[in-house]
Amino acid sequence: MADRASDRLLRMLGMIAYLDRHEGVPVGEIAEQFGVSPAQVMQDVELLWVTGTPGYLPYDLIDFDASSYEQGVVRLTEGRGMTRPLRLGAREAVSLVAALRALDGALGPALDDERAAVLRSALAKLTAATGDAAAAVDVALAASGSPGATAAIATALRDRRRLHIRYVNASDVATERDVDPIRLVTDDERSYLLGWCRAVDGERLFRVDRVLDATVLDESAEEHDVAPDADTFAPSPSAELVTLRLASRARWVAEVTPVEAVRNHDDGSFEVDVRVVNRDWLQHLLLQVAGSVLSIDPPQVAAEAAGAARSALEAYGELAGR
Amino acid sequence: MATTPAAAERLLNLVIALVNTPGRMTKEQVRTTVAGYGDAPSDDAFERMFERDKDTLRELGVPVLTVTDASHGDDFGYRIDLDTYALPPIDLTAAELGVLTMAAELWQDRSLRADSSRALTKLRAVGQAPGSTDLVAGLTPRVRDGGGAFAPLVDAVQARQAVRFTYRAATSGEVRARVVEPWKLLARRGGWVLVGRDRDRAASRSFRLSRIEGPVRPVGAAGAFEAPTDNELATALASWDSGTRGVATLAVLPERASALRMRHVRDDEAPDESHGPVPGREVVRVPYRAQWELAEEIVGYGDAVLVLAPASLRDVVISLLRTAAALDAKEPARG
Repeated sequence: MADRASDRLLRMLGMIAYLDRHEGVPVGEIAEQFGVSPAQVMQDVELLWVTGTPGYLPYDLIDFDASSYEQGVVRLTEGRGMTRPLRLGAREAVSLVAALRALDGALGPALDDERAAVLRSALAKLTAATGDAAAAVDVALAASGSPGATAAIATALRDRRRLHIRYVNASDVATERDVDPIRLVTDDERSYLLGWCRAVDGERLFRVDRVLDATVLDESAEEHDVAPDADTFAPSPSAELVTLRLASRARWVAEVTPVEAVRNHDDGSFEVDVRVVNRDWLQHLLLQVAGSVLSIDPPQVAAEAAGAARSALEAYGELAGR
Repeated sequence: MATTPAAAERLLNLVIALVNTPGRMTKEQVRTTVAGYGDAPSDDAFERMFERDKDTLRELGVPVLTVTDASHGDDFGYRIDLDTYALPPIDLTAAELGVLTMAAELWQDRSLRADSSRALTKLRAVGQAPGSTDLVAGLTPRVRDGGGAFAPLVDAVQARQAVRFTYRAATSGEVRARVVEPWKLLARRGGWVLVGRDRDRAASRSFRLSRIEGPVRPVGAAGAFEAPTDNELATALASWDSGTRGVATLAVLPERASALRMRHVRDDEAPDESHGPVPGREVVRVPYRAQWELAEEIVGYGDAVLVLAPASLRDVVISLLRTAAALDAKEPARG
């Protein structure tokens, strides 16, 4: 892993402060604390050992107890005034505090009291130490879904238990299935449950706002290996290709939909190529952006969406006429 | 491993020297006494090395101060003030460090990830034992990439410095340079948004970061504009707030739109006496925060969901449907 000089500097400064607070720490523990290998810790300690104040005579240098070090235990004996931990930079504080606030807002309902308390105390301590720096950035994660379903998913994840869910798909068809939960992914738009669906014996991504019911079962969840990017929706490259030409105001379509290609035109309009796994999903999108659609290929897709709109209008007509 | 031991060692020696110097160190003193700088082959090479190192330290949050000494005329030097250097007293439990580790994973944005992982390295110095991440097992929050515009905008918000960038307007597709006093960055449904005052329009505006084209450049000095008043900020942010604005009355076909029904409110919480039963349909009351948002969702269900009230919502839905009903009158695209 690339280890830039600045990252290494921060880690070494952190180590002095840490070792000043902990009397004699085994190399392996330091490695875990700072998330690096024991070999890296030893390289860092050996470098620290030869740094100090100008002059660089023995009493100018950072020093460790040599006999403990031979036993694999690092004991700081001279810190050359560097034992106070370094403050957070403004952007560093922003990034962590905004992340914690977002977690608190989004995961609050999914956490039990003990875990919620840890999150709040970490946030309180960090805000006290960094001041109001984080006001620059405000993240709202969208923990969509019913509180009951979200809580059941969180419990099943924590206790590694199987879930029984009633789920309605993009075609508005409800099914029941048993799922071994893997992760609950929450982003700025909505929450997804990545789980192993027992019915199809494969991983599936479920939108939590379409989980109608979730029950934690007595059975333990089995472990399943999934790809690291399994929680990102990626339509199959063999799915049907649809090309939409849209007016500029519908630019959000290219931003929130996994599109294959975007081509900008001089008049501000643009074309997107979309792989469509589910025609119902596409139809929903088309009904939403109809006012911005300049053309659709294949044309049959347009005909289906227009037909759906006409039957809805007829239903409104009957409603008014009754 | 791609380490640069020489650079790390030189930086460390510089920090220790500047913390321990009784008053200040001149550039020349750094060059002749701090280990690593004597190797510079020329005056220019030393200058570049020292300037870069100073920038690196400041970027890492190490406060390198420039000080002039009255007894030495305009001759100036450098030192690090330990009180400014140090983190205020803070002790983190293992569990808290675990939560912070997860928080640092939130960002998919590269610059934010780098910032939060640095913050974490610093906090590990004051954390109790290795952090347990079991506490938050299986919960993966994430926020999408803010792109290249993000880091300079955060800096500009912090510094209260105006910025200039090229922006593609969503409504017209017009591409134009904007000069903006940046107030706040928001991650909201589907992306990052900058809220600030557009100087040309002399009014607050929101800008999607994904529509900023090219670099974001600072304009003028830091601290050059007044921070928005609470009122101005609240008004600008209002459209990005969540919270319920109203409750719609819908007539839904049996067995359909279960995801929409799931969010219904009971009649006694929000009674609506204006509608009796609708034959062949069930009447459901669903809260919403923005009419257009619910309208777009309802339209997707076609004839399965009809709006009974409010009339304004029904009008939006019917107008969307009329537009959509003409979709097949258009020419197919030719790529």
